[in-house]
Amino acid sequence: MRLSRRGFIRSSALLWLGFFGFKMRKEAPVLRPPGATRDFLARCIRCGKCGEACPYDSIKFFDISAGANVATPYINPLETPCYLCLQRTGEGKDEPLSEFLLCGEACPTGALKKIRNDRDTLLSLPDELKIGVSVLNRDICLAWQYDSCGECYYNCPLRDDAMLDYPPNEVIKGAVGIRPYVNEKHCVGCGMCNYVCPVNEKIARATMEPGRKLTYFEERYAAMVRNVIGKAGRGVRLPAVRVVKRV
Amino acid sequence: MKIKVIRRVVQLAVLAVLIAVPIYAQNPIEWAPSRIALGELPPPRVSRVWGDTWSFSFYGITVTHPLAALEAVLAAKVVYLPLLMAALFPLIITLLLGRIFCSWLCPVGFLLELNQRLRGFLRKKGIARDVRLRDYRYHLLGFSLVLTFFFATPVVSAFDPPHVFGRELFYLFTYHSVSLGGITLLAGIFIFEALASERAWCRSFCPAGGFLSLLGAKRLLRIQKKKERCILCGECNIACPYNLRPVELGIDKDFNDKTCDNCGLCRDACPAGALYYTIRR
Repeated sequence: MRLSRRGFIRSSALLWLGFFGFKMRKEAPVLRPPGATRDFLARCIRCGKCGEACPYDSIKFFDISAGANVATPYINPLETPCYLCLQRTGEGKDEPLSEFLLCGEACPTGALKKIRNDRDTLLSLPDELKIGVSVLNRDICLAWQYDSCGECYYNCPLRDDAMLDYPPNEVIKGAVGIRPYVNEKHCVGCGMCNYVCPVNEKIARATMEPGRKLTYFEERYAAMVRNVIGKAGRGVRLPAVRVVKRV
Repeated sequence: MKIKVIRRVVQLAVLAVLIAVPIYAQNPIEWAPSRIALGELPPPRVSRVWGDTWSFSFYGITVTHPLAALEAVLAAKVVYLPLLMAALFPLIITLLLGRIFCSWLCPVGFLLELNQRLRGFLRKKGIARDVRLRDYRYHLLGFSLVLTFFFATPVVSAFDPPHVFGRELFYLFTYHSVSLGGITLLAGIFIFEALASERAWCRSFCPAGGFLSLLGAKRLLRIQKKKERCILCGECNIACPYNLRPVELGIDKDFNDKTCDNCGLCRDACPAGALYYTIRR
């Protein structure tokens, strides 16, 4: 059979497209919004309504460089954490903004499950619907090293369940302040701890810029942050408490 | 009254909604937990109107493009009932009235219609060319659906231009940035149509339009001709954006089947008032 040049290009183009499609169809290793099912990439029709519904604009979207993940939602807790559709009041209490988590309510295909926005539901959420889980690195944690932090504990929306102020069944000599401990059973991976953790580059560099007015956080933590980062050496993942995907 | 006037009003309204929804849903301030805890920031705005032409929600009532629903079902291999309910209303409308989405609601279709004026100007200057294209919409649709099924991920959802347009508006107002892929696609379509081929995307490439064409093939609302009034001037043929031939209505009965999107331009163009909408018996 003789194959013309045009015919060859045509048929091989189809093959190549299929090949690239296959290569590109990979779940991106990112945090999906709460309620994301296992077959998220198959169900998501890229309508973008979860991001529009998000009251804090925590949900961001991929561009074309993400291949098959184009226009699918993700959460980067370092930019904006998931606030679990809560509003903080002056008394330090969290009031729900809506009956359901709004991204799940907006999703038309069930790629994000509808989750009732109350503490009991969030605490008993099945693992596969959670955003991820926080992992705490005690070696660079200011609370564990210098007894002087606790931001993650105070800001956790599921405080005393997902984040404890002291590890259960552990005795630590000379512990005075808070020793944050992530309870993996209840942590939904909202990333609030990741967001507020002061152990990051920005704060470490803050005092090196002459003439800049330091924020409260920077003034308080900069020296200690430089110490722990210096002690831990290169290659350590910052900040001290990070959200990772559940496997 | 000209159909075109009503159509322009509807199209402008759709455009206004597409711009207003993300503006209303945006939050102007960067949120930080400590500032919220200290009571420095007001509560965020909880909007209940979401979406664009691909899927739209208004206080719990959701309408979804039938192709989006089909893709989700094909990709996930599960049937999600609320999704089918959301797709039901546009499905029935398309079955009865044809693909009026393309001519009456599609924001990109509207802008491409306006783009024709630029094309006319460029043609006068001798810059624009006329590339003849066949109708590849059904091929693209079939190919996309096969990809959707075997790679288990919706394909047309990623590049459907009216949806990309709504999405870019949402990105623009919410994150104050646009995505490279979407803007490249839209700009490419507009430039190609201005320079190379008239209404190329709607006529030859749009898989979503092809899908709606297939759905509306047996529609009730059709354009029809009073033969005794027709003066065979051919104005309607010139007016038709899809190169159909309304002047042959009643002679060639296949004309009205799939491609026509009930835009009403031929009816407006007819000097004798011979063309009219009718409900098929």
